Amino acid sequence: MTDHMWELLHRLRSFFRREELDRDFDAEMASHLELATAENLERGLGPAEARRQAFLRFGGSQQAREEHREARSLPFLETLLQDIRHSLRMLGKSPGFTAIVVLTLALGIGANTAIFSMANALLLHPYRYHNLESLALLWESRGIDEGPDARSISPGDLADLRASSQWFDDISTYQCGDFNLSSEGRVDVAPGCRVSANFFSLLGVGPAEGRLFSVNEEQPGSDQSVILSHGFWQSRLASDLHAVGKTIRLNGRNYTVAGIMPPDFAYPVPMELWVPLALTPAEKSDRSQLSFAAIGRLKPGVTVAQTAAALNNLSRRLSELYPQTNAGRILNVLPLRKELYLYTLPLFALLQAAAVFVLLLACANLANLLFARMIARQRELAVRSALGANRTRLGRLLLSELSLLALLGGVVAITASFSSVRVLRNSISPDWTKWVPGWDGIRVDSAVLFFTILLSLFLGLVFGLLTALHLRHISLNTVLKETGRGSASPARARLRNGLVSAQVAFALILLVCASLTMQGFNRLANAYQGFQPDQVLKFEVALPETAYPDSVKRANFFEAALGGVASLPGVSGTALTSNLPASNVDNEKTLFTIEGRPALQPSEAPAADLQTISRDYFSVLKIPLMAGRFFTEADTATAARVAIVSRTMASRFWPGSDPVGQRLKLGAADSTEPWLRVVGVVGDARQNWWNPATFPVVYRPYLQSSRSSFRFVLRVASNPAGYASAARAAIAQVDPEIPVTELKTLETEVQDSIAIVHIMGILMAVFGIVALLLSSLGVYGILSENVAERTHEFGIRFALGANPRDVLRLVLRHAFLVSGVGLAIGLPISFAVSRAIAAFVFGIVSVSLPVLLSLAGLLVLVAFIAAYFPARRALRVDPMVALRYE
Amino acid sequence: MGDKADVWQGTLALMILKTLETLGPLHGYGIARRIEQTSGDLLSLNYGTLYPALLKLEQEGSIESAWGVSDNNRKAKYYKLTSAGRRQLEREARDWRQAQAILAKFLSATEPST
Repeated sequence: MTDHMWELLHRLRSFFRREELDRDFDAEMASHLELATAENLERGLGPAEARRQAFLRFGGSQQAREEHREARSLPFLETLLQDIRHSLRMLGKSPGFTAIVVLTLALGIGANTAIFSMANALLLHPYRYHNLESLALLWESRGIDEGPDARSISPGDLADLRASSQWFDDISTYQCGDFNLSSEGRVDVAPGCRVSANFFSLLGVGPAEGRLFSVNEEQPGSDQSVILSHGFWQSRLASDLHAVGKTIRLNGRNYTVAGIMPPDFAYPVPMELWVPLALTPAEKSDRSQLSFAAIGRLKPGVTVAQTAAALNNLSRRLSELYPQTNAGRILNVLPLRKELYLYTLPLFALLQAAAVFVLLLACANLANLLFARMIARQRELAVRSALGANRTRLGRLLLSELSLLALLGGVVAITASFSSVRVLRNSISPDWTKWVPGWDGIRVDSAVLFFTILLSLFLGLVFGLLTALHLRHISLNTVLKETGRGSASPARARLRNGLVSAQVAFALILLVCASLTMQGFNRLANAYQGFQPDQVLKFEVALPETAYPDSVKRANFFEAALGGVASLPGVSGTALTSNLPASNVDNEKTLFTIEGRPALQPSEAPAADLQTISRDYFSVLKIPLMAGRFFTEADTATAARVAIVSRTMASRFWPGSDPVGQRLKLGAADSTEPWLRVVGVVGDARQNWWNPATFPVVYRPYLQSSRSSFRFVLRVASNPAGYASAARAAIAQVDPEIPVTELKTLETEVQDSIAIVHIMGILMAVFGIVALLLSSLGVYGILSENVAERTHEFGIRFALGANPRDVLRLVLRHAFLVSGVGLAIGLPISFAVSRAIAAFVFGIVSVSLPVLLSLAGLLVLVAFIAAYFPARRALRVDPMVALRYE
Repeated sequence: MGDKADVWQGTLALMILKTLETLGPLHGYGIARRIEQTSGDLLSLNYGTLYPALLKLEQEGSIESAWGVSDNNRKAKYYKLTSAGRRQLEREARDWRQAQAILAKFLSATEPST
């Protein structure tokens, strides 16, 4: 073993000292021959004969030298180096071809690396929870899945589940909402959660500073500690190093800062703070309200399916025990991973599909280019073969040439992806990326590097093998017999024309696919319907309880503020609302009862979203009126109670009849809420992009439903962002102590809320450009090589008296003809393929004719350029040179 | 020299080592001549295989080489046995004798053993 090592070391050393050792052996041979000659002389031979005999006895010196070399060094390595040197020489001889192949590979592989990097960060590892696979959400439904924001459970049922479950290691409860954060007389709204003490340990995440909650803090009265998000600590406490132990004021109570979470903790969505969930015994045993969220960690080896079956049994038992509240109620379990990726997965599937198209395009280009090159090199290979190279050796040469190309492409691709990932990360606003879990983790990591290099090697080997195999079909004799000059045999010309046509057809098909996926994203991004966000400015105002303790004072403030903002020049309408479409926050949910149709059980009472607005809300957002009327100035605090319902609400609860004039009240049949008369029906407006379901909505006039915080919307003639300071001034004129927050245009808000879709859209646009580049490169590469090969033919035509204009026309007509054939083949196929994709991939509809035609036109343009410029160059060449050109 | 025997595979190294043990440091040509003479000119040595064999022994560390001057004042590369080479010689000579003895017994056995 060690002997072999020793020998290998020796050989390696010899490999690098080749020339020195060659000289040494030559000297040794010379001395051997001299000694032999001297002995022969002593034996009495003449000087010439003595020398001849010595040489004769020694044998072939070159052969001895080779044997010596082979014994001392690594012959495999030497031939390999020889191959590589040769490959480099060959590639250097055709820099255009090399550049196109390397660029094609770099684009194809680079695009895939970028996507793989993103998928790696956003899809494979966005959440750093301990063992994500064993986490599952627990919730109760009445048979329908109302989406992620409606996954809640009653505390009483949860307690039974905890007590009876052998399936979970631990279960944690939480409830999220807005907290009023008061500091120095002003009130801000901060999103946060009330969580059970085991919340963080169940997720397997520890604090960056301070401590987590203890079980004692689940007692009402001793629950006044808070854990802050990293963002809260940075922005609101100015990264105060002594923040732990300080006091902040939430919802009018003092809370002591217990800890600060690390920056990447954002469960269930980015939150600013967490406080202990302290419930009274009565609250703990309540079954009437589904008011909490719950997450459990499955015991090792327990599957979700087993748990679901057990939960079903428990649901049945509970509905028998407590028919009043639990009839028809079903306990559900859902893997957390599934929930987290519910909406992002289809997007990534689409993106990955685009990346695959780009790689396919790159591969098609490569195959075509290499095939064309093989045909062009047939003669060279035939000559090599005639000079004694066997086919294995030739195959090895080609293989090393292609592997080298692939590796070069891979290196360029890696370099490109490093910079593109950096550009990607820096070019997208943090307003968007804060919604994208895992965004900070996007980087070209070792896994991605590995993937890229593997891919490039794989491609090189595949194409190398394919070309090497193709060698077997070439009859070298036939090739050598063909003079190989200029206008080749009709068979060769046909083959080349076929290649160009195939390239054009392929490019068209893949371009159509790429454009389809791009359009798919645009459609997803514009999925908001029912309102018009353009030319609207929005901001938020929250009134402190101390200065505005009652509804009259609040109403006075908001009326004055509305009036002030409305009187700004250029403002055509202003309104208040408790929530905005596209806020990505679901509306407050409420049970309601329709007059004359009381639900038999509380669990059967219908539910709807509740939104509080001022009278001009619908006209400012251009939400259409379907029936009845909007709210008016007459709907004051003292007037008759009224409500407006959404179209979905009307059609679901008053199918086939007119809800206008009907009455409903909030809460179940026994609630003491006043009756509200429905005065109008309006169109649906989607609240939350991520939740495609359309919920029924009840709108109430704000003067009849007092709140301390509202979002203002104002519609202006143009440039809404320009009204920011005027709007601030108008509010300050009513009360200079009141802060204006979240001031931005509604369009920006909408875009921010679907950040990830936009990011994907940008990526798709990049893909589209890459695809276009690749197909242009491919068509250009193969067509221009085609034209350049005909230089000799042009020489003959000139010699026979043709003028350059005629020849140019000839070349262009040929180019249009061949690419026309390609289009004729590609158009129907791409149409069929687009239909097939539309049927299978979410968000895509079949290609439109104008898109198809413009892509075809683009390829014709590329074909024209690819034929025109090489032809012009060929035409400028002296006919004599052209005739000799090979 | 047509009916001279070729050097058997694997024995050349042993011959080289023995030669160097007997005669001390020697150049390639000297080793070759000594092997031919010792065999009573019955062996024909291919010089093309001698030098690779010397190289292999040197790589294995059994011999070492240095340029020197011969008796008749010619520059030549001299090979010298190392202590590792001495051990290798002992081992290989023993193995060889053993193999020879076994083969001899085998060849002299006239009756099939029971």
